[in-house]
Amino acid sequence: MNRVILFGQRFHKDELMLPTEEYYRRRQKSGGVGRWLLFIVVVLAVVIAAIGAEVNAQALDDAADSGDEEAVEAITLGEVKAGNLLFTGGEAGKYIPAVHQDSRVSIAVRGLVAEVWLQQAFQNTSENWQEAIYALPLPDRAAVTGLEIQLGERRIVGKVRERKQAAKIYKAARAAGKRAALLEQQRPNLFTNKVANIAPGETVQVNIRYLQPVVYDNGVFSLRMPTTLTPRYIPGEPVPFNTLGGTEQKLVTEGSGWALPTDQVKDAPAISPYMQPAAEREVVGSHNIEIEVELEGGLPLVKIASPYHDITIDEKAGEHYSIRLRDGAVKMDRDFLLSWQAEPSAMPRAALFSERVREEEIGNEENAGAKAGRYLQVMLLPPDEGTRARRLPREVVYVIDTSGSMGGNSIRQAKESLVLALSRLQANDRFNVIEFNNSPRAFFTRPVVASKQNVQRARREIERLNADGGTEMASALRLALGQQLPDETSLVHQVVFITDGAVGNEQALFELINQHLGSARLFTVGIGSAPNNHFMRKAAQFGRGAFVSIGDISEVRGRMQTLFAKLENPMATDLQLSWPQGVVAEAYPKRIPDLYRGEPLQLVARIEGDEMQGEIQLRGRMAGKQFVRKLVLRAGQSPSTVGIGSLWARSKIESLRDRQTLVGEGSNAGLALREQILHLALGHQIASPYTSFVAVEEEVVRKAGNEFSHSSVANTMPKGQVLQRQAYPSTAAGVYAQLLAALSLLSLAALLRRGRKVRGNLLRELRQQLRRVVPDIRRPQGGLEARIRNIRG
Amino acid sequence: MIRPLLFLLCLAAGLWQLGSAGWLLAKAQLAQRLIAEAWETQLQDGVPQKPWPWADTRPVAKLKLEGQRPLVVLAGGSGASLAFGPGLLAGSGKPGDFRTTVIAAHRDTHFAGLQSVRRGSAIYLQDERGHWHTYRVSELRIVNSERERLPVFAERGLLLVTCYPFDAVAAGGPLRYLVYAEYQSGGEVVRL
Repeated sequence: MNRVILFGQRFHKDELMLPTEEYYRRRQKSGGVGRWLLFIVVVLAVVIAAIGAEVNAQALDDAADSGDEEAVEAITLGEVKAGNLLFTGGEAGKYIPAVHQDSRVSIAVRGLVAEVWLQQAFQNTSENWQEAIYALPLPDRAAVTGLEIQLGERRIVGKVRERKQAAKIYKAARAAGKRAALLEQQRPNLFTNKVANIAPGETVQVNIRYLQPVVYDNGVFSLRMPTTLTPRYIPGEPVPFNTLGGTEQKLVTEGSGWALPTDQVKDAPAISPYMQPAAEREVVGSHNIEIEVELEGGLPLVKIASPYHDITIDEKAGEHYSIRLRDGAVKMDRDFLLSWQAEPSAMPRAALFSERVREEEIGNEENAGAKAGRYLQVMLLPPDEGTRARRLPREVVYVIDTSGSMGGNSIRQAKESLVLALSRLQANDRFNVIEFNNSPRAFFTRPVVASKQNVQRARREIERLNADGGTEMASALRLALGQQLPDETSLVHQVVFITDGAVGNEQALFELINQHLGSARLFTVGIGSAPNNHFMRKAAQFGRGAFVSIGDISEVRGRMQTLFAKLENPMATDLQLSWPQGVVAEAYPKRIPDLYRGEPLQLVARIEGDEMQGEIQLRGRMAGKQFVRKLVLRAGQSPSTVGIGSLWARSKIESLRDRQTLVGEGSNAGLALREQILHLALGHQIASPYTSFVAVEEEVVRKAGNEFSHSSVANTMPKGQVLQRQAYPSTAAGVYAQLLAALSLLSLAALLRRGRKVRGNLLRELRQQLRRVVPDIRRPQGGLEARIRNIRG
Repeated sequence: MIRPLLFLLCLAAGLWQLGSAGWLLAKAQLAQRLIAEAWETQLQDGVPQKPWPWADTRPVAKLKLEGQRPLVVLAGGSGASLAFGPGLLAGSGKPGDFRTTVIAAHRDTHFAGLQSVRRGSAIYLQDERGHWHTYRVSELRIVNSERERLPVFAERGLLLVTCYPFDAVAAGGPLRYLVYAEYQSGGEVVRL
């Protein structure tokens, strides 16, 4: 700062025309302009200094960036044993995966079931043998029914085994040098896929088959497939390493995730895969996905759309559509969503599909008998009452997630949704807004009347929200559900929860919702390119509400309208389903949830025996009126679809898991339920929390001398999200900026106050100095020249 | 008419900025005193001690950079605890654990001294049982926090994190200054 900024031009003193005292007096009198000049100069100086600092930082930033791109040197996590490896060479900190992964998905939709084949190719680009560990996100209601390793034409088919047993088989094969694959369920929508003994330069393909129900809501069919995940927040205190159990200790030492086990999330390393920005992936050409869908809805369709991807649609004969991605392979950084609508005249109000599983078809698997039988899939819409019903006053508590994972586009979508929701409130409604990250904060201590001032105040506060910090959801939910007073029965209590659901303690939260719900209803709004849909759906289910998801800022309006329709219109309650006499059916979901506007009843059932005649009746109440809907069962005439049996087993497991959530997994009842789930999953050969798929090749490929390393295949960061910035805390308090601001403001104040006097003094001083140095040409007698003359004289 | 108003405005805003900057600095310094006391009590009694009754964090280690005053490290790297002292990030290892210990602090308060740390400098870290661990700085690096993740390994090591550049006016930039120190085994007794 003490640098010399201005250099005076040198003139010969004779050519110099110096200002007279009169001039200085005049200038001092006409001080107004000068003061403003001074003011502007000070402001400019401050601004320039600030910009300079900023530019400096950015230049450094760019330098760091360009350095990154040059460093294309493979480092495996297995090699990264020593901390200095990430530091040597300065730029080598960028992690370039040893194993590349590419996916191909083909989906066949028949009726209300989608059958999906997911082919994943793991390519080992390193010079070592590798074990690839990949966190595989799947749709939250997927019933995984198959795993195989494909080597050229050869296929090694995997089997379902009890989880621990499967892990043991896999480990033995890995140690023996055989090719093996293991698929473990960590969460209903997150699996771990491990492939052992990939030779240097080799590509091993793993095929996974799963079934998933098609969602039908508000006349729109949709199918969602995640390709990556939002990093989950892990609440709780880290558990010391030496007190960990065997499996958790393994997880930590094998380094498959960035999080440590905590007292609340024991399996944290398994659900916290490393993430990499999509841009870094493009360089090496890894992590692309191709998607193709064969759509046989059996209905004339009017609109097929995919909001997050460009697709091409090829219509074939017989209401059959072929859908491809326009660009071929795309980045795996967002969910794939396909939606389609039937022509208004053909809009279905009821549907029935069946599957007959015969014992001889299953082959000689153990427990094969458990699977054989007849399965039904039923879809039934309650009557549409329209909007004639009287609108009841509501008390809505909005909860908005402002944690770090919401950073980037997500927080913008969330804010916009919230502002839109506030604008829907009417004068007799009451509302409150709670924002939470590490801890929750309510805008008002109690829900307030939705007056103009209150809504304005809430809006202003929403504008100021930033995404930062943890996702302590439990305290936020407790606060939100505790807002209702028990005696306020005249109001409809609703909680609208806007989040990406990126938490690791889902089960505990479901339990909490179940306990504290009272008479309220919880609606979830899923935000972001890859939200945790399992959390969204189950939280809404335990909260007796509904859920919508928003993946793009342009969708906010439309999706929120759907939510408002559900919030504000009467719903179908007290639903009872009766089966015709003589038909013994085991249907899931066991308790039929209340249906919001546009939602159909969707269930899967297993029918005992061959009797199938009569009609199914759905009774319920809507807007104070009773209604009955009927669906005729005809043996052998309902369209046949594969996979309903597996979906039924999957639904039953979910129902058993729900009961387990309520009684606790470790209790006696919970352990009995575990046995039931295990038996069911083994019988139907599907993946579950207690069963995994394992495939082992008999041939030994890796010779005893060769070592192998574990290689976590990182997932791609969801689009529009900032890479785990929470990993690096913000470490500047901003003292300098404040000090600088204080300095400039105070000096400005001083100038304003004492400006005239100070400047007067300064100028007088300057004048005197000038006089001393520069001789006055108007008085040639004095000073230096006079002396010279005297000498000459 | 405008001038006195402008003057008052500038004066008030200036004092406010000065006050809040002073408050930040005072908080950082005063809190360290309280925390240091809590740390000593905690070492003697072996019971976790909160530095002040409503604190949402607690001291977990004591950090001494060569030639600088010791700092007491708090649990967690949230903004709330970083205002009072360096924070030991959740998910990283405790001193002496077989996992990198990551400590972060503000560049303009507690870790202002980090820029004088050189390769080869010694760093001492006291754990909750009172043992001192010695580390030696092996690497200094600047990273872009938007593009890289925090390196945490299954080995003993110490990583100090602060913002970069040290004298930038604006807070919240993406650059971080990393000091990585290797564990010095042998467990020599350190007197301070």
